Amino acid sequence: MKYVGTSVNRVDGIKKVTGDLKYVDDLKFPRMLYAAVKRSTRPHAKIIHIDISKAEKLPGVKVITTGKDFPKRVGLYLEDKNFLAVDKVRYMGEAVAAVAAETEEIAHEAVKLIEIEYEDLPIVTNALDAMKEDAPLIHPDLGTYKYASVFAPKPDTNISNHYKVRKGDVEEAFKKADYIFENDFYVPHIQHCPIENHSAIASVDREGSLTVWASCQSPYAVRLALSVAFDIPLNKIRVLSPAVGGGFGSKAGTTLEGIVIPLAMKSKGRPVKLTFSRKDEFINSFVRQGMHSKFKTGVMKNGKIIAIKDQYVWDGGAYTEYGVNITKAAGFAAVGPYDIENIWCDSYCVYTNHPVGGPYRGFGMSEIQFGIERNMNIIANELGIDPIEIRRINAQKVGGRTATNAPIDTCGLLDCLDQVLEDFDPNEKVESLSPNKVRAKGIAFGMKAPSMPNNVASSAIVRLNEDGTAYLLVSAQDIGQGSDTALTQFAAEVLSIPPEKITIKTGDTDHTPYEWQTVASRITYCAGNSVINACEDAKAQLLELASLKLGIYKRDLKLEDGYVVSTIYPDKKVAIADLSLGLTMPDGSGIHGPIIGRGVFIPPNVKDHDHETGLGDKPVAYWTYGCQGVDIEVDTQTGNIKVLNVVSSFDVGKVVNPTLVEGQIEGAIVQGIGSALWEELKFKDGKPLNPSFVDYKIPTANDMPEMIIKFIENEEKTGPFGARGVSEPAMIPSAPAIANALCDALGITINSLPLTPEKVLNAMKEKNNK
Amino acid sequence: MKNFEYFKPSTLKEASELLIKKGANAHILNGGTDLIIRMKEGITSPDVVVDIKGIKELHNIKFDEKEGLFVGACVVLNDMAHNQIVKEKYKVLSNAAKSVGSGQIRNKATMTGNICNASPLADTSTPLLALDAKVLVYGPNGEREIPINELFVWVRKVSLEHGEIVKGVRIPAYENIIGDFQKISRRKEVDLSTVASTVVKINDEIRIALASVAPTPIRARKAESFIKGKKLTDEVIEEAAKIAASEASPIEDVRASKEYRIEMIKIAVKRNLNAVRS
Repeated sequence: MKYVGTSVNRVDGIKKVTGDLKYVDDLKFPRMLYAAVKRSTRPHAKIIHIDISKAEKLPGVKVITTGKDFPKRVGLYLEDKNFLAVDKVRYMGEAVAAVAAETEEIAHEAVKLIEIEYEDLPIVTNALDAMKEDAPLIHPDLGTYKYASVFAPKPDTNISNHYKVRKGDVEEAFKKADYIFENDFYVPHIQHCPIENHSAIASVDREGSLTVWASCQSPYAVRLALSVAFDIPLNKIRVLSPAVGGGFGSKAGTTLEGIVIPLAMKSKGRPVKLTFSRKDEFINSFVRQGMHSKFKTGVMKNGKIIAIKDQYVWDGGAYTEYGVNITKAAGFAAVGPYDIENIWCDSYCVYTNHPVGGPYRGFGMSEIQFGIERNMNIIANELGIDPIEIRRINAQKVGGRTATNAPIDTCGLLDCLDQVLEDFDPNEKVESLSPNKVRAKGIAFGMKAPSMPNNVASSAIVRLNEDGTAYLLVSAQDIGQGSDTALTQFAAEVLSIPPEKITIKTGDTDHTPYEWQTVASRITYCAGNSVINACEDAKAQLLELASLKLGIYKRDLKLEDGYVVSTIYPDKKVAIADLSLGLTMPDGSGIHGPIIGRGVFIPPNVKDHDHETGLGDKPVAYWTYGCQGVDIEVDTQTGNIKVLNVVSSFDVGKVVNPTLVEGQIEGAIVQGIGSALWEELKFKDGKPLNPSFVDYKIPTANDMPEMIIKFIENEEKTGPFGARGVSEPAMIPSAPAIANALCDALGITINSLPLTPEKVLNAMKEKNNK
Repeated sequence: MKNFEYFKPSTLKEASELLIKKGANAHILNGGTDLIIRMKEGITSPDVVVDIKGIKELHNIKFDEKEGLFVGACVVLNDMAHNQIVKEKYKVLSNAAKSVGSGQIRNKATMTGNICNASPLADTSTPLLALDAKVLVYGPNGEREIPINELFVWVRKVSLEHGEIVKGVRIPAYENIIGDFQKISRRKEVDLSTVASTVVKINDEIRIALASVAPTPIRARKAESFIKGKKLTDEVIEEAAKIAASEASPIEDVRASKEYRIEMIKIAVKRNLNAVRS
């Protein structure tokens, strides 16, 4: 192949490094107003009265809206949220009212003048407590909410989804097991920290047509949510996402768009802009849900695991319209990348008075696999089996079964392990150069499927220009992952036009065709297939016309470097440019018209699971597997950990662009290191304690380890050129591998993240006191 | 951020008069890395901001065998940290300065700002305390010198009168400073100290200073007098570290527990003492 598999330069690279690319907050329109949001100071309270009289009188204030203006509930999978709180607030920081004013300063000043009278309600901030029968109900009307049929909310509880896996007979298996292990784990709330804060501008013209510029991952999903919320037909809403400076899930779905639109509707045609502060990012976009897991594992003497009964309790926060699907994804992967005959899994999405949980790179997999991979090492150590050996014994393999009992026909997991071991000797003992430090090594697996509805659709259009260049139109968003480049490479490959002659256009629901969402590591796969199909369609038209022109059968023609060429007589050819507007016949007449290729895609044969057992033959499009080994150094006096080396291998099916995918994996590892060592959004009685980079630490350049990035290429049969998604999976093994290294080397047990210096020292003390 | 009046005088006299004339809600602006953030967050809302960066003499950094090192109030941390004399003769100060914030912050922030902000964890405070620095102050009633340990009064409170402006910091000349700075933090770069400490050895006298362990940065005088005249054996170091920890009164906050801080004082002081011993 000419372009797929090569490190084509990022097509958006120059625009980004020069600053020519304009992000939403860079956009300014004549007479634009600025918005600010009045936020709840209570974690759970009834709104008794909102007094806007003082704020209204402030010069420069143009519009004030409250939840009562648009009380219709919305949500992607479960309609449980309002963009502005109606009647009650459910977390500290929830939007209650919004102001549009001539300047940002005036808007903020006006917000301070809005007075809200609350009546406090009892709060619940621990998901385990929230499941108890006497817990205060955060959504007493849950029973009346609309939801997608694959979910199972439990009315009159705080449980907004319960996903079950019932495979085999765990109780019988536990009786047969030589050993039973029980372990609990916890991962805290963390935040995505994209470099670009959320921003949106809304404008309503006098015909009532709504235009929204938003830094969003999914313009079409936003359009649909807004249409439902504000009763506007889809053809009257245009959503543009001009550029996204990192999303990691936080810009999936809708967040602040629903706040600016009501303001714009009342501002007599003046556009309204709202840009989140960093504090807003931490509290009011999405957070990764905190999660309590527990495992009961039945193991035979030889290390074979015969049964796992586990429970995942997700702290979904105040609204779980998106979070419920994370619970389901966790169920599909109930025991991680292991083939276990008997499984009993309960995954609960639970309302609490915490910020809204939502999609975050990994979509539940990092959270569950922290416990799964720690559990594996704890068992291995107890049995005296090598942690790698126990993984080999229990790993999913071709011919085996997933947690939902789906047959496994492709699985490069152990190939990845072996590839990591080429550069990583887990048993090699390295002495630290410092007497206070200990070197340690650990390994972990990772596994993820695209978490999306079965029938999600993608589409692409390719238009040829008179000079043989092309436009590629999609609504897949390049959120930093490099999709603009990868999709251009696919088009270049099929059309045999160099990538620099193809311009990709994205993110405009009026002009670029439908894409469900840029999430789930699905873009290379789903949008990629639609691009290939669109280019194949254009190619078929070109061959048809060339066949007429050259008098050669279509089957003997191919596209090559901007020409349609005979495969038999290479000098017989016609330039694509000459066919781009159709074919001119010898008599001067023309036929066909411009070449426009259309391509669509829905992942084939993905079907619903059984509600009672959670089982299904193909609940997901495919699984991506991988493995990482880490080499860390622990300061045993301070408890600080430094990650020195990481070796990573993932089965990506096909490396589309080596440089880009390496970058993506490096980014994932570093994000994993952040979640392992520092990241935790802390709360006290619902109040966020560290919503800023002063006390919420993510890795710096200094924290980058040496990374060896490797790939296995077991073809994904339904994938574009065999490729499968990898941008999320690559983060999953990093944190558990670090925890395994730490715990095994020091003989300590830490079953929660992050691995703070203090936890390390306390665990060492505990060990010494034993 | 609230609207404010901005002045950039070119003399100390002018600056001081402005501060007095405009009253208590006039604020000095130096590097701005603390003030601007506080203003943006609405914690500090001055009506008047007096930028002292227009005063030329505050940008001096000079060394004199007799008087020692003078670092003007407006010398930015990176210029000080990478100054040849500072690196040679006051290495410990250079190291502490390099640990403040990020490279970008250190290109704006100053040592005078760092200490006048009076955070209990100011990174440059411990070398200054250990080296018995003097703070040179210009005021309406003339100039005065404040010993650094008398500058810090409480969390974010210094012993300066309104209208007084710090001209800079003077650090005495010493024959030979053997010093060591330790910063224990969650992340190595761009982080606040969980605990910071400096130990210097000057002509066999050992001085110990600690930050982020009490309402102000402190000298561990009891530990110093315990060490006095003793050879730095492992046992002496162990005991001195314990005594230093007993002199501190750390709090629990979002960064660390009180217990962890006490533990880390011991570790930091031990590392300091081990470093100056060899």
